[in-house]
Amino acid sequence: MAGKLKKIVTDPLSDNNPITIQVLGICSALAVTTKVDTAIVMSISLTAVVSFAALIVSLMRNMIPGKIRIIVQLAVVSSLVIFADQLLKAYVFDISRQLSVFVGLIITNCIVLGRLEAFALGNKPGPAFLDGLGNGLGYSAVLIAVASMREILGFGTWHGIQLMPAGYQGNGLMLLAPGAFFCLGLLIWAQRQIIKKFETA
Amino acid sequence: MSTPKGDGYVIGFAVSICIACSLLLSATASTLKSRQEYNVELDRKMNILKAFGVQTRDERGRAISGAEVDRIFEQYIREIVLDGETGQPIEGLTIAGVSPREIAAGTRLPLYTFEQDGEIAKYAIPISGKGLWSTIYGYLALNRDLATIAGVTFYKHGETPGLGGEVEKDWFQNNFRGKRIWGDGNLLPFEVVKGTVADRYPQGNDHAVDGISGATLTGRGVTQFINRDLEKYEKYFSLIRRS
Repeated sequence: MAGKLKKIVTDPLSDNNPITIQVLGICSALAVTTKVDTAIVMSISLTAVVSFAALIVSLMRNMIPGKIRIIVQLAVVSSLVIFADQLLKAYVFDISRQLSVFVGLIITNCIVLGRLEAFALGNKPGPAFLDGLGNGLGYSAVLIAVASMREILGFGTWHGIQLMPAGYQGNGLMLLAPGAFFCLGLLIWAQRQIIKKFETA
Repeated sequence: MSTPKGDGYVIGFAVSICIACSLLLSATASTLKSRQEYNVELDRKMNILKAFGVQTRDERGRAISGAEVDRIFEQYIREIVLDGETGQPIEGLTIAGVSPREIAAGTRLPLYTFEQDGEIAKYAIPISGKGLWSTIYGYLALNRDLATIAGVTFYKHGETPGLGGEVEKDWFQNNFRGKRIWGDGNLLPFEVVKGTVADRYPQGNDHAVDGISGATLTGRGVTQFINRDLEKYEKYFSLIRRS
């Protein structure tokens, strides 16, 4: 049993990663990854939202009427997202301004609703929470990896620390959306090579 | 999702979810309100300091602390409220005591001064107006002569990131520094040009700045509201220039 629980958390980190394998949540992965700081805050927000949403939905899974289950899930998710957004506005105002609409858009992130539908509705609260946590962490790992590449190549810094030599001319392409596509594409390719996952057409 | 439930149950369930969610959110909003308002206020002060050219970032590029902003603001910045009709300062009125509606209507004009050694070194006015998609807010600081720009900030807008959104970037704002708004006894029409100033005015133009490529309309909006807002303060500024 313990092994199964561990697998719920570790599976989405690599073998079943929501971004690189399932290719979900791309929108925010492109938008908030110009700097590591914003990526970290976004990752924490999403991980918290998806874990607790999964927990709450799983606790109510026998009470939720099937006819309105999507609406109920959305109500839970959006309340949590607004809650997170309010906290960010109060405690990390600067970063919350840079994230702008993207925290709000966690509501529409396919990963969140996908995990609720696919897992939380049919499983006990404990595993559901861990499944949310695992997927959140899988998303975070990719987000931070992409943000690291973009910040180092684009600004010459990582988490605000100067890495490149002083005269380094930042690569502007990395800061624009196409740069994110390149990084993400390379990452998806590398990941799938390593775990030997190939899609058949 | 065990057994099919009746309509009454569905409605009851929906209503209780709504109530639970709204209670949670109202509780959060009211608990965090004062902190959020403090942040907005701090951000406003920070932007006024930035317009005045005060260093608001340390050598590592991190923003200075809130307490530090408050201290600098307290020490150097004074607030004045002008009467829109006469252009005269109104004694005993602070900017916090003026309603946004009066400011929008132009009957009350907030003005910030930066004082050094007991003398006014710079003036700053709030500027705002339509860009392409949204209202842009910022501050414009003038040097003591009230003829050249000391600095500008745009801090709140909803323009397209990467295009009109570049107004919030340093490269755009730094171009304003040192430009003239007053010459030969007249307000000069300030302009954010389409393209670069060097291309547009080969003979040179000291009251224009380079535009943002791909954001001509945002630039046109900025041009418009900077001139309009400077006009509003002209009554008071001309008095000072004369004395």
